[in-house]
Amino acid sequence: MSSELVIKNLHANIGDKEILKGVNLTVKPGTIHAIMGPNGSGKSTLSNTIMGHPSYTVTAGEVWYKGQNILELDVDKRAKLGLFLAFQYPVSIPGVTVANFLRAAINGHRAVEGKDTRETQIPMAQYRKDIREKMAALGVDEAFARRYLNDGFSGGEKKRIEILQMSMLKPSMAIMDETDSGLDIDALKVVSQGVNTLVQDNSEMGVLVITHYQRLLNYIKPHVVSVMMEGRIVREGGPELALELEERGYDFIREEVFGNGN
Amino acid sequence: MATKLPAIASLSAADVLVANEPTWLQTWRQAALATFKTLDVPYWRRTDLQAFDYAAMQLSAEASPFTIGANAPTGVVVMPLAQAVREHPAIVQAHLGSAVVASVSTYAAINAATWRDGWFVYVPKNVETDVPLHLIQGFGEGNTLMTRNLVVLERGAHLTLVEQFSGDGGPNSNAVSELILGDGATLKYTGMQTWGANVRHVGHVVAKVGNDATIEWVAINTGAAHQHIEAETNLVGNGSRVDWMAATVASDGQRLLTAPWLRHVGRSTEAHMDFKTVVKGSGYATFDGMIKIEGGSTDTITRLEEHALHLSPQARSDSVPGLKIDTNNVQKAGHASTSGEVDEEQLFYMQARGIPKSEAVHMIVMGFFEPVLDRIPLESLREQVTAAIAARI
Repeated sequence: MSSELVIKNLHANIGDKEILKGVNLTVKPGTIHAIMGPNGSGKSTLSNTIMGHPSYTVTAGEVWYKGQNILELDVDKRAKLGLFLAFQYPVSIPGVTVANFLRAAINGHRAVEGKDTRETQIPMAQYRKDIREKMAALGVDEAFARRYLNDGFSGGEKKRIEILQMSMLKPSMAIMDETDSGLDIDALKVVSQGVNTLVQDNSEMGVLVITHYQRLLNYIKPHVVSVMMEGRIVREGGPELALELEERGYDFIREEVFGNGN
Repeated sequence: MATKLPAIASLSAADVLVANEPTWLQTWRQAALATFKTLDVPYWRRTDLQAFDYAAMQLSAEASPFTIGANAPTGVVVMPLAQAVREHPAIVQAHLGSAVVASVSTYAAINAATWRDGWFVYVPKNVETDVPLHLIQGFGEGNTLMTRNLVVLERGAHLTLVEQFSGDGGPNSNAVSELILGDGATLKYTGMQTWGANVRHVGHVVAKVGNDATIEWVAINTGAAHQHIEAETNLVGNGSRVDWMAATVASDGQRLLTAPWLRHVGRSTEAHMDFKTVVKGSGYATFDGMIKIEGGSTDTITRLEEHALHLSPQARSDSVPGLKIDTNNVQKAGHASTSGEVDEEQLFYMQARGIPKSEAVHMIVMGFFEPVLDRIPLESLREQVTAAIAARI
């Protein structure tokens, strides 16, 4: 089974409006792959469509991961396959504590069809030990475990909790959707460190980093950089491409790809 | 002695007398019966009054079973109201009917005339207890239960009380609860309607809150086929306050209505209402509320939140909040209301973490109720209610 994420000719709409217009992209295991692009280029639509957000309708194309076209799978099954979406705007779930939520998520991952969940679920003592260690590593106060998920959390706190979840769930393919938005430099460092630690621990892990700015890529160093514009991947290169974009902006690529019209 | 009384429509003044009751109570019952006969059935347009038809009601002359579910706290008087009439006549006479007057509806009137059941809870001045008192009322003989509960907290008294209706039988229940809070008193009150599936329950529950007194009121409505509860918090005292929460679950065939009235009468009164409803299958729940800020109520703070979750397309919930302000000195008045299906973004988020959809819905719904259920004072009861709700979602 290939743990490459292979996106073929992906088209997706919101309502009647086509946002993705034929995305082709391969994220290799053990690779940090950045997607950069201006606002409105379809970056977040791509991450949401891969994960299966109900507001996006796929009109054509395939997304293959571990031998399956995941577009045919329920959202939770995609997660169980090893995909993880770190949300740009994590929602709050009042009344559900971080600890209970995360335990349900872990048990969801551990569940085996046809087996009693009592057999597969994580032992409580082990869970407590794990969450404590991970919280300490990410500098998250233990009191957060008892708070309602993302309810009243600051932007930085929400992102740390996203990374906490990621480090507990240990995905094989993580999609970071504008993880740097709303983060100050200290939070950015902590979050990036969390991602880098995971990658170090699992040399097969793939990471798709979606970002508008090059800043995040100073902390999470990409092997490959793709540029997205108007619903398509228009350019692919190495880390130097991100630096070039930082320096010259997106317009030079726009002109090369679409012509400058002058 | 006959154990059944004549049909309600043909009750005479003599029928409502109970052996060995004092004269004042005999007069009081007969006056209530006379009131009953002059009243029209109430105009409750969201309630199917056919379900509460007097012609079908048959009263028992005997008391029905009630139990004290936990260790009763010390220093608190707990006994059947019928016994309190003899043993604490002055207190009973001073307060009986002072919060729920007979003329408010035919149901309140007939309850006043014919009650046999119900308890008396009395906390003397400055007696404070943290031990929760849990009272459970069930059905006895006859198809109709008329309970009358009188709870009196004297000045500075503290009590945690759970009143629960539970079990099968009846199917008619017509209950009155009067909660009287003296100055500086604190009552943590949980009222639970957890009747069996066939029951028809009408309730009048009124709290009168004295100066600087506080009531924390948690209403749990999960049982019965039909429910119509007229509830009222009367913030009559200066500096009085209420923290009022409710969790209602109406699933297949249930029609559960709560009509909470909040009256700001005293100065510097404060109220927070948080009513949560889940409807499922063909369940139908109604919130028919009114907040009234009287002319003399100044520096008032009032906040109403009511939220309903629909778990199936046929399920219905109605929300009819009202606000009448007769003062020009309100400090804060706010209202927030939502109604709809489980939030798609929350579901997506949870599923994206590997939680199956059905479990995600379950967690969201239980999380929705969590702040209310968290207030149920007895841990065993809280777990029992949580499990009962979880099993129905």
